[in-house]
Amino acid sequence: MPTITINNKAIQFEEGKTILEVARSEKIDIPTLCHNDALEPYGGCRLCIVEIMAGGPRGLKTSCTLKATDGLVVETDNERVRKSRRMTLELLLARCPNVPIIQTLARAHGVSSSRFSLDNEDCILCGQCVRVCKERMGVAAIGIFNRGAKKYVATPYQQLSEVCRSCGACASVCPTGCIDFTTFSEKTPVPLLSEWNVGTRRRKAISIAFEQAVPKTPVIDKNACVHLNTGACGICADSCVAKAINFDQQDEIESVKVGAIILATGFDPMDPTPLKEYGYGVYPNVFTNLEFERLSNATGPTGGKLLMRDADDRLKFTRPPESVAILHCIGSRDLNYHEYCSRTCCMYALKYAHLLKDKVGHQVQVYNFYIDMRCFGKGYEEFYRRIQSEGVRMIRGKAVRVTDRAQSEEEQGKLVVIAEDTLSQSLLRVPVEMVVLCTAMEPRKDAVDIARTFGISIGSDGFFLEEHPKLEPVSTATAGVFLAGACQGPKDIPDAVAQSKAAASMAQALISLGEVEVHPMVSHIDPDICIGCRVCIGLCAYGAIEFDTRRGISVVNDAVCKGCGSCAGYCPSGAAKIGHFTDKQIFAEVEGLLATGS
Amino acid sequence: MDENAYEPTIIAFLCNWCTFTAADLAGTSRLTYPSNVKIVRMMCSGMVDPKYVLKSFLEGADGVLIGGCWPGDCHYINGNMKARRRVALLHEVLERFGVEKERLWLRWVAASEGNMFAETVKEMTEQLKKMGPPSTKQRAIA
Amino acid sequence: MSKFATVKTNNGINRSIAELFRQMLEKQVIKAVLIPAKQPSSQMVMQTLITNPNALDTIDPFAPVSAVSSAKSAAALTNRSSGEPIAAVMRNCEIRAFIELVKLHQGSTDDLIVIGTDCLGRYENREFLKLAGEQKELTTAFLAQAAGDKRYEKVVGAEITTACKSCLYPIPKRADVNLCIVGAKPGEAIWLEAQSEKGEEALGALGLETTDEVPAGRQKAVDKLIADNSAFREKNLAAFAKKTENIDGLSAILSSCINCYNCRVACPVCYCRECVFVTDTFRHDGEQYLKWSEKRGKIKVPTDTVFYHLTRMIHMSTLCVGCGQCSSACPNDIPLSELFATVADRTQKRFEYLPGRDLQEGQPLATFHTDEFNDVTGQVK
Repeated sequence: MPTITINNKAIQFEEGKTILEVARSEKIDIPTLCHNDALEPYGGCRLCIVEIMAGGPRGLKTSCTLKATDGLVVETDNERVRKSRRMTLELLLARCPNVPIIQTLARAHGVSSSRFSLDNEDCILCGQCVRVCKERMGVAAIGIFNRGAKKYVATPYQQLSEVCRSCGACASVCPTGCIDFTTFSEKTPVPLLSEWNVGTRRRKAISIAFEQAVPKTPVIDKNACVHLNTGACGICADSCVAKAINFDQQDEIESVKVGAIILATGFDPMDPTPLKEYGYGVYPNVFTNLEFERLSNATGPTGGKLLMRDADDRLKFTRPPESVAILHCIGSRDLNYHEYCSRTCCMYALKYAHLLKDKVGHQVQVYNFYIDMRCFGKGYEEFYRRIQSEGVRMIRGKAVRVTDRAQSEEEQGKLVVIAEDTLSQSLLRVPVEMVVLCTAMEPRKDAVDIARTFGISIGSDGFFLEEHPKLEPVSTATAGVFLAGACQGPKDIPDAVAQSKAAASMAQALISLGEVEVHPMVSHIDPDICIGCRVCIGLCAYGAIEFDTRRGISVVNDAVCKGCGSCAGYCPSGAAKIGHFTDKQIFAEVEGLLATGS
Repeated sequence: MDENAYEPTIIAFLCNWCTFTAADLAGTSRLTYPSNVKIVRMMCSGMVDPKYVLKSFLEGADGVLIGGCWPGDCHYINGNMKARRRVALLHEVLERFGVEKERLWLRWVAASEGNMFAETVKEMTEQLKKMGPPSTKQRAIA
Repeated sequence: MSKFATVKTNNGINRSIAELFRQMLEKQVIKAVLIPAKQPSSQMVMQTLITNPNALDTIDPFAPVSAVSSAKSAAALTNRSSGEPIAAVMRNCEIRAFIELVKLHQGSTDDLIVIGTDCLGRYENREFLKLAGEQKELTTAFLAQAAGDKRYEKVVGAEITTACKSCLYPIPKRADVNLCIVGAKPGEAIWLEAQSEKGEEALGALGLETTDEVPAGRQKAVDKLIADNSAFREKNLAAFAKKTENIDGLSAILSSCINCYNCRVACPVCYCRECVFVTDTFRHDGEQYLKWSEKRGKIKVPTDTVFYHLTRMIHMSTLCVGCGQCSSACPNDIPLSELFATVADRTQKRFEYLPGRDLQEGQPLATFHTDEFNDVTGQVK
């Protein structure tokens, strides 16, 4: 293997690597601004300069472009090299005196000021944006124009670009964050928002759903991925050391044979946008319960800090609030939306109050606007008392409106919650900085489709219907399909866990038997009467009837038949009959019911 | 109340999974509805052989109610669709002989619609009272 | 598009047709032909399966009688087919019923060449036997009379059945080959109409010249026949419907029913092996009869008569082709064909179904769709 000597250290290397790559593999730091592993070597910023001492043409060379060769002797940090870098940095500092990365590098090299006349540019002309656009995205929407001190990055003729896809690669590689593609693209970019964080932060086209995700592997958003849509880019695949990224993967439908199914499809949080009186989506600091949860989460957009939103940028968070109103029963216990109680809001609202006091500080004013406090669980009432003792204001009255129209000095610049305090029978206006809406738990949007797929019913509230509200709380109308959690109705974690364990037990009990009990209400076709018209076969939704060509009659498969009676309802000769629902039995019932006459 | 007032009898063939459960729910919810309805539980509205309807009328019923799941919600996928065609056919045949369409109802009542079941029975009873006995009433099934 | 060929009938219509089938048998286009023929030592004409080319001398396909609907005979021959090609000569009501039976897997068109005949109606069997005894060339006279030949005006005195007089579909449309006499002069020539590819092949095998043109005078004659029947039907059925507009009226006309079930045996589309009304379901205990009687004070025996007829209307009215065999079979002259026609008019209209129109068309009770008949419940979610 060829050997190179860097800073008096002999290093073996693979043919074809640049000096920069070899040095970095040995953790020898060489500063650079224009190098990017995903891009071709450029040699533009001149910061990666090293001195070739022997074994090749001597002198200062850019290490990002020069291939390592056998016997080469290199120094990366001698006085000559440092002097050259200082000069480069001094020039960069003159051009971009306010760019942090330049300031940091300059300081690290002992350059504090520039002798040249100061400019005030953000762009350091590393060219990464231009190169990524051309090399990886295959677009070349932007280029570097002019020469020398007049160089600049722009679109041709500085017109709005029609080829720019607004993919954002340029902005993502820019070391100074100075490129804003929205200013030169014809297209309006749609930001990718993290679903897990309910849109409180961005995510990339390839991302890991959340930190505790299992399996913790990234997924590619096929609608947003540049490679899957155009064939360009592919940077993630190049940079993945494990070569784990496979763009050819397709969605697959897998058939799994199972003996029992547990539906645990959960719920949807209600979107409070249609409830215009609460100003969600209009006032930046009106949050939903789930958004607040993400704020308080250590892996959320604020790292667990409870901060207010910037008025101009929904994705930017600024300072902790001084006062917060928590509004209960938004969409629940409301005849206009959901009649039912969502059962969880009272308790998490108390939790929020506690978190605010705990994280922001005792000075924060917290108001709970409630209809009734329903703290029915084990230890719940005790928690309620504790929260009250922490100084949280409990106001018995549903908030009717949130507005930013101030009526007094005190309300200026704040959100005013209007509510009736039903205990003092007075109308309240409470100015706060942040409002949290405890929105209803709703059935999943596709609950109807799921119910149809599994042949189960839906209750009037839209949640899946259990077989019996008291005696069969986890089974459904379809044998072998069980319910767990909020898909059956709003419930909190202890209740969901209890029901899930019950459902698991039911499923286990069913499948561990190794055989299935078939109920006796199945169809039977009398072979002496059937004449083989096969209409029943066409009517059977389960394919439970087959035609016996030898005997010329239709035959029911007991194990497949569900006993719906579609066949018996048609069969004119009465050859097809359902056990326990024969003509004779039904006639006897009808006669019995009409026996007395009227 | 007039003891001799005409009280129609409705034979109701109810799907076990929806309307029968709705009737159950109406009961557990303590909803009141006319006692004129006499329920025959079926596993599915698609199980209702037209013979059962004919039998009910010939045996002296004033009206027949068939309760099934809403389209798309059938426990057996599409039994209710078959029931609907059979009722359409029954309507034609019965009406040909003076047994009005209004005496044979097919209604979709979901398991959760206990209230609707009670309302349907009330409505049907009222209608049958207005119509009076059918021509099949107490006829010897000869 | 159908094709027509002309066949001269100077030597008598039956002989000309026998010649056609002789050729088909000899050329082995078919192995056998099911065709109405005179029975030995009798004037009765019945469907006869003929394999011997020399045994065609007794055929009488236009004889105005149909003792048994040949839909059932054709179904019996093809249900478990021999695999040999057979031709079956049938009236349109029989063809239409046969198509319904094929949908119900009771027969098959695979090895069958359906030969239709224009139908001018049939006599009740008794009438036919009487007339045939009196008159040697009954068929010739019958056809000539129908074609407006003055010489035969008085010869045929009796009337064809009410069902035939009310028939709206006397001309086959779904045969392979149709023997056309309406509009023709039966004593001079008739036309063969190929109504399918199979039919065209058959005419080709016989070496007949065909034309796309409908023979002169045919369409007009067909239209007149249908218009006359339609007018009769409307008048007759309206009066009948009035008489049976309620259960009392229905009971009255069924009062002489003896529960013999002949109507259902004769019905070409009543395809059950055993009618549900003769199964155990309707064998009642003595106690049951007493209960019924006690409830009403009296009850006619045998019971379940109205129930039976209503059930048959449910089962079969959508498939009823109006052949009138039920009426012919009834020993007590109950006008069953009128009864069924008035019900079938309603039910077939409701399902926009015409039996025998198309083999691919699903039967009303054998098909269903999600979005249909929403008026039945009147409920919209």
